[in-house]
Amino acid sequence: MDILVFKAALAAYLFSALGYIASLLVKRVHVARIATWLLAAAFVIHAGALVLRFMAIGRAPVVGLHDMHSLIAWIMTGVYLAFQFKTKTRVLGVFVAPVAFLVMVTASAGLGGTVTASPKLEHSLVTIHVILSLAGEALFVLAALAGLMYLIQDKRIKEKKISRFSRFLPPLTDLDRINELCLLWGFPLLTLGVLTGSIWARVVWGSAWQWDAKMIWTLLAWVIFALLLHQRLAIGWRGRKAALYSVAALLVLLLTFVMEKSFFTTVHRFL
Amino acid sequence: MSLILVGMNHKTAPLEIRERLSITCEDGSDPLAEVLRTPGVEEALFLSTCNRVEILARAGSREAAEGLYGFVFRYGNLERQEMDRCLYTHYDREAVRHLFRVTSSLDSLVMGEPQILGQVKDAYRLSVERKATGAVLNKLLHHAFRTAKRIRTETGIAANAVSVSFAAVELAKKIFGSLRGKTILLIGAGEMSELAARHLIGQGAPRILVVNRTHARAVSMAEEFRGEAVPFDELARALQEADIVISSTGAAGWVVTAPMVASALRRRKNRLLFLIDIAVPRDIDPAAGDIDNVYLYNIDHLQEVVDENVRGRLAEARKAEDIVAEELDRYEGWFHTLEVVPTIVSLREKMDGIVQGEMERVSSWLEGLSDADRERVQILASSIVNKILHDPITGLKEESQENGAAAYAEALRRLFRLDGEK
Repeated sequence: MDILVFKAALAAYLFSALGYIASLLVKRVHVARIATWLLAAAFVIHAGALVLRFMAIGRAPVVGLHDMHSLIAWIMTGVYLAFQFKTKTRVLGVFVAPVAFLVMVTASAGLGGTVTASPKLEHSLVTIHVILSLAGEALFVLAALAGLMYLIQDKRIKEKKISRFSRFLPPLTDLDRINELCLLWGFPLLTLGVLTGSIWARVVWGSAWQWDAKMIWTLLAWVIFALLLHQRLAIGWRGRKAALYSVAALLVLLLTFVMEKSFFTTVHRFL
Repeated sequence: MSLILVGMNHKTAPLEIRERLSITCEDGSDPLAEVLRTPGVEEALFLSTCNRVEILARAGSREAAEGLYGFVFRYGNLERQEMDRCLYTHYDREAVRHLFRVTSSLDSLVMGEPQILGQVKDAYRLSVERKATGAVLNKLLHHAFRTAKRIRTETGIAANAVSVSFAAVELAKKIFGSLRGKTILLIGAGEMSELAARHLIGQGAPRILVVNRTHARAVSMAEEFRGEAVPFDELARALQEADIVISSTGAAGWVVTAPMVASALRRRKNRLLFLIDIAVPRDIDPAAGDIDNVYLYNIDHLQEVVDENVRGRLAEARKAEDIVAEELDRYEGWFHTLEVVPTIVSLREKMDGIVQGEMERVSSWLEGLSDADRERVQILASSIVNKILHDPITGLKEESQENGAAAYAEALRRLFRLDGEK
């Protein structure tokens, strides 16, 4: 049953992604509006799938490739939807919906497989830790996406090339505000995620810190974004510079993430 | 029955001839009444703007066009020869196409500008008030308005600014989104900078700062815009506060230098700054445009944006022409059915009359029948008529929608003597 609902959510993500891309091509707002509703539908169906999954395996579905990726897509979508209702900027969906769909595709690779998780992980603190960290990281991804669009738009206006594509992009100030909001919300969430994780680690392993690749990676993310946020708020970095650094920060993180996945073993790999 | 459109526009007639016609028309006279008095004219619309004069009429035949020329002739005080050069005349399908194109702003001086739609609506309202329109023009004008609306929503013909000052506003919106709460700084005076400032205020920018080398001029201009005059030596402070700067002084050197902008930007915590330099020679050091979060456009850059937009509109115009052709077909379908409707109606009336007459003629014989039988005879007679008429009527309607059926209608009228015994 949970598999069926999961597949329905996957289809909804696909249609939403196609809708957003179509809205970019035909330049019609109502197409983007339909795509947004499809994405909201995908989010709700997906939530149902997660609940069913929870009931099927008897614990929070936060461990293992399938559950993790599924959760990443769900949280990313949720964060984007919340954002979209707040800022009324649909164009980010053109990036978010296809990415969510692709993550869902990778998640469906492990579909139906049962993961025998270590009993250490059956703790509500773990669930909170995973959800908070993922939400924080999802917001950083959004900050970087807004930054990327800012850079494109900035370049176009600077070079006096106001093409059709740049007309579709939102105004610079709006993109800058999205970037700022994402950092402002993402930072405390990630901080709380890291804290809950280390509390739990202390309980289980007796030490809050392990020289673990994923921990180093996350700490690095935390430091980079703390720096960015500080520069933004105290020094008055905004506009191009802030956008550039958010994109660069995300690239650094993705790189370390890939490195970690390929070359290191980690206590975060529980299989 | 014919539609006739006689007119002149900015392409066919020079301003002095157009204005002669429109001035006389405003001169307390009543052009619409005059057009309606033209022999043969049954419905009429009179449109006069600074770029065109158009007379649209429904008349019994095309000959009425001569009468309309006579009208233009008298009103414009024109030589016949001159008039032939300036006037165009369209009939039926082409008249409808022309009206659709005019209403959709495809025929305007600046293509896609929306004013013309309002002007046609005003002209139509006047005609309706004067009871100068009937079924044909009412349907036609509403169809024209619908076409114009469709073109506006389905093509980008009215998108994007095609004047320098609107291009500046559009860019400001691309940078700031909403202009609410933004501060505008005007350096120097000039017609174009005032125009741009007015557009920006119209978009919601509430605060205006004015700087001028002659402070008295700054004060008087500030009064006009309900802004603040700032002394020239406080330009640096003004740069720190403004979001949009429009500069148009007559100075020879840079009025705003790159270091000035850079230091203003530091003090304003890198808030975005949009610099518009419409002075020739230029006022703002081009190096200022290289600073992060500063966007500098001079008059040539704005003109490039405008040119690009005009090219974009021309491309969209091709789509718009397709829509016009499509709507034209639709209207023509209706118009031609209309052409055969009176014939169908009188044909039916005539047949019903014959049935009625024959029933009366044999009424003494019918009296011998029971009520039910009498009714049966009546039904039999009507159904024979219906069967006979069915094919020619459907055929006539079909022909009318495809090829126009004036000849068929005419033949029917003659063969069945529908216009009375001759």
